[in-house]
Amino acid sequence: LSLSRSGDSESIKVFVRVRPLTQGTGLTTDGDQSLCLTVTSSNTIRLLSKPEPRTFTYDHVADMDTSQDSVFSIVAKNIVESCMNGYNGTIFAYGQTGSGKTFTMLGPSELDNFTDELRGVIPRSFEYLFFLINRESSKSKSFLCKCSFIEIYNEQIYDLLDTASASLFLRENIKKGMFVEGAVEKFVNSAAEAYQVLSMGWRNRRVASTSMNRESSRSHAVFTMTLESKESVNDVVNIRTSQLNLVDLAGSERQKDTHTEGSRLKEASSINRSLMCLGQVIMALVDVSNGKNRHICYRDSKLTFLLRDSLGGNAKTYIIANVHPGSKCFGESLSTLQFAQRAKLIKNKAIINEDTQGNVR
Amino acid sequence: MAAVNTDEWRAVCDKFTNAQHLTDVESRNDPENDPFRSKYKARELLREIYCSLKSFEAGEGEEDSGAESADQRPTEQPVDGQKLDGFGQGFSGDSPAGLRAAKLGAVEYYLGVNHVDTEELSAGQEHLTNCMKLLERCRVSSENVSLFLHVRNQLGILWAGRDEMEQAQGYLETAESIYQHYMKEDGSPPTDMTEYFTTEENLLTHQERTKRFELAYTHTMYYLAQVYKNIGQTERAATYCQSTLQRQLQLNQFSPMEWALNAATLSQYYITKGKYMEGRHCLSAATVISGLAGEVPSEAAAQESETECERREQLRQKRAEIARCWIKYCLNLLQDAKKLLEDNIGELDTDRQEELTRQRRRDEEEEEKGRKSALLFGSEDTFDSIATVEERVLCLFPLDFTEARSVFLVGQNYVTQAKEYYQMDGYVTDHIEILQDHSALFRALAFFEEDMERRCKMHKRRVDMLEPICNDLNSQYYLLIRRQLMFELAETYSDMMDLKLTLANRQADTQSLDNHTIKKFNHLCSASAKYFQMFLDSLRSPEGKFPEHLEDDVLRPALVARFRVGRLQSRLISSSLSVQMENLSKSLEDYKYVVDYCETHPAAAHAVETELELSKEMVDLLPLKINRLKAKMAANN
Repeated sequence: LSLSRSGDSESIKVFVRVRPLTQGTGLTTDGDQSLCLTVTSSNTIRLLSKPEPRTFTYDHVADMDTSQDSVFSIVAKNIVESCMNGYNGTIFAYGQTGSGKTFTMLGPSELDNFTDELRGVIPRSFEYLFFLINRESSKSKSFLCKCSFIEIYNEQIYDLLDTASASLFLRENIKKGMFVEGAVEKFVNSAAEAYQVLSMGWRNRRVASTSMNRESSRSHAVFTMTLESKESVNDVVNIRTSQLNLVDLAGSERQKDTHTEGSRLKEASSINRSLMCLGQVIMALVDVSNGKNRHICYRDSKLTFLLRDSLGGNAKTYIIANVHPGSKCFGESLSTLQFAQRAKLIKNKAIINEDTQGNVR
Repeated sequence: MAAVNTDEWRAVCDKFTNAQHLTDVESRNDPENDPFRSKYKARELLREIYCSLKSFEAGEGEEDSGAESADQRPTEQPVDGQKLDGFGQGFSGDSPAGLRAAKLGAVEYYLGVNHVDTEELSAGQEHLTNCMKLLERCRVSSENVSLFLHVRNQLGILWAGRDEMEQAQGYLETAESIYQHYMKEDGSPPTDMTEYFTTEENLLTHQERTKRFELAYTHTMYYLAQVYKNIGQTERAATYCQSTLQRQLQLNQFSPMEWALNAATLSQYYITKGKYMEGRHCLSAATVISGLAGEVPSEAAAQESETECERREQLRQKRAEIARCWIKYCLNLLQDAKKLLEDNIGELDTDRQEELTRQRRRDEEEEEKGRKSALLFGSEDTFDSIATVEERVLCLFPLDFTEARSVFLVGQNYVTQAKEYYQMDGYVTDHIEILQDHSALFRALAFFEEDMERRCKMHKRRVDMLEPICNDLNSQYYLLIRRQLMFELAETYSDMMDLKLTLANRQADTQSLDNHTIKKFNHLCSASAKYFQMFLDSLRSPEGKFPEHLEDDVLRPALVARFRVGRLQSRLISSSLSVQMENLSKSLEDYKYVVDYCETHPAAAHAVETELELSKEMVDLLPLKINRLKAKMAANN
């Protein structure tokens, strides 16, 4: 993306991963043997829609046989390295429940064994980060690493590391940027410790089961690692901080309240007589293109607010879009692929108020 | 049909009540891991009711079932369009056959909604479609009109969810015309669907019936607003948003703060369309209605109880949001007036001003006419208060300083209000956005000020409010905002510099400027160049490298900044030939950069046409000037 500081046009990248067909997992998609999509190259995927199949292009498309290690190498390695250099980095996982998000991010669910070949992007990122820290640490350079883990559920923020706490507020500070006020931060010294913090919080997440899905998450989880490096060169101490955000989004079929839902109408019955969502409709009518300066009363969701830096700001971001290849999942896969394509267009506009009229004389 | 008072019928009614309770009340307390438990239970009850109804029918209605099959039409998919055959033939609504159809239809309707709620859309569609088919055989009447409306609302939602907007639009527009037709032809308070399954002693009052029916129609309006938005008919969508709001107000079905925020947001739509009268009306209504939400709890009260604390937070935030919408109103009004009045060098065009002042009389009449024809908000209680708020600020373009100032002051007042909530500590981005608006208000007002000294002071105010923040902000998190501030500061210093020079030139020619003025001028000139340069430096990589290729978003600002730095360099006043020489050489480098960049990136040229043309001229001209200086220096030595 264009506003990354180094000027390389790539702040948001999209990785699509197709999971293998499910067998005996109790999911309603079990036994669905007909496929609705095929991977046609390492960056294209074809969806067998009617009447014409559609081809989507991304930064990378991984088929069913792709190993966890290669997902990590493509998606996260670079981001972890940039974090060491003071950039903020974010990795999102997006997709329908059952499409392999958790597997991609964490690995098999009962994972405690840190050396498992199937461990996901998150444990691998921890390992790599601490590998780099250990390599770079020296007398003149030291690192401090702390983690927080929050959940956004129903537009409320909860601390997964302190389940006793009430919902928390987002605040901003002129020096610190955006932060969740009062969120617990745990210092960690190794990948194993970081993983411990993660799994402790993970168990506190809100999941639900419906007749359609065995288990589906209704919340977004944001795991944040703050890395502080201190370097003294000739008595000058240089401190750099950066953040690595690992985000597991709610199952895409549940995101009824975000922009991902496309055209679904907001229902009045469920929101009673308040019709607050009318504002969302009006919001969409207010035209930005004609350059008028306007204010919109409704904020974006807490998630986009918290991750504003990651969405087209000053950070490196990768979105992993998980899709299920079964033809029963056609609708959801289509919307995931469309979302992923829109994500590539996200741009944070720095509208610069330059107006040379009257000055060039 | 079973007699209304048999035990059997009572059992059906109880089941229905139970199902409603499960759906509306119990379901809210369902556990996280079994979110549809109550809805699944309700579904079972509805199915039982359906069976009971069917068996009643089989028991009694020999002659009816014959009629039913005779009436069977080819069952084409009932896609609503403009057809309104509900008003044509069919059973009359209050005939036994009509009533039975309506009852069965209602159960199908509730089953449909239940399936949709539990995310089984196709099954839901089937039930809703069955309901439509049953209704097809009936004429619209006060007994069933509510069901006619509800089922179409639901089908509209369902089809919109599948991205089939035309289908949705068809159902909803039919619902709209059914309502209007019914209100025109009949208008008596219609039976609510829930009453099909109540015993006589529990029938609703007329007032309650009307209320429910009107609410269903308000929802139709609301869904249509969304459909029109989705198919890109924004103006129509805005009209439907407006009617939804007005209906809520009239029928007293709203929560004040939400209503106010919606109206305030709608004002922003009108502002972007240049409709200031409508915008002002929405905002005034928002202000009045938000007042109905009550007083903001005091800080002390907030500390005592959590609910008071939350209420305080909510009210303060939402009122601040409305204030910010007002700021934008004032700002855009001033800026549009400025655009209308400025000549080709950005100064006030007095001929234009006179012409527009003459036109004003006509505009005022138009305003009166417009006000009468426009859709207005208000109930009997609020109408006058809204008009009073409207009177506090112009909705016609201000044409002179006095008028501009009155708009500015209203805007500034709202700036103060908004800042009370959006303080720097905690709300950095919002706070700065408000300051940027404040600065923009000053900038627009300065245009109308004839006294240059005072105009300069206005710009100084802008510098004072933005400069410290620009320097304090963390550039890692607020890079984009900082870039905006840098650019604005650079331009403000430039404006001040031009004003100073114009003022000085009135008294003397450039050659004989006094030292103090020169110092002042050079200071402003360097300050402006400094901020342009800061902006350019913000584009560098962490290793300090300037990008070889400028991204689209920063292309124009970057090239303009470089060009401006070049111009500012060459304008610095110095009596020392070597300093002059140095400044001109630097300036030449900047112009060269612009020219070279556009040569290697031809696509960039159209983004900076004027600047490029001038840069080319300067690249030709400056070497001559530099050579002349060189010769002069050599001669002096």
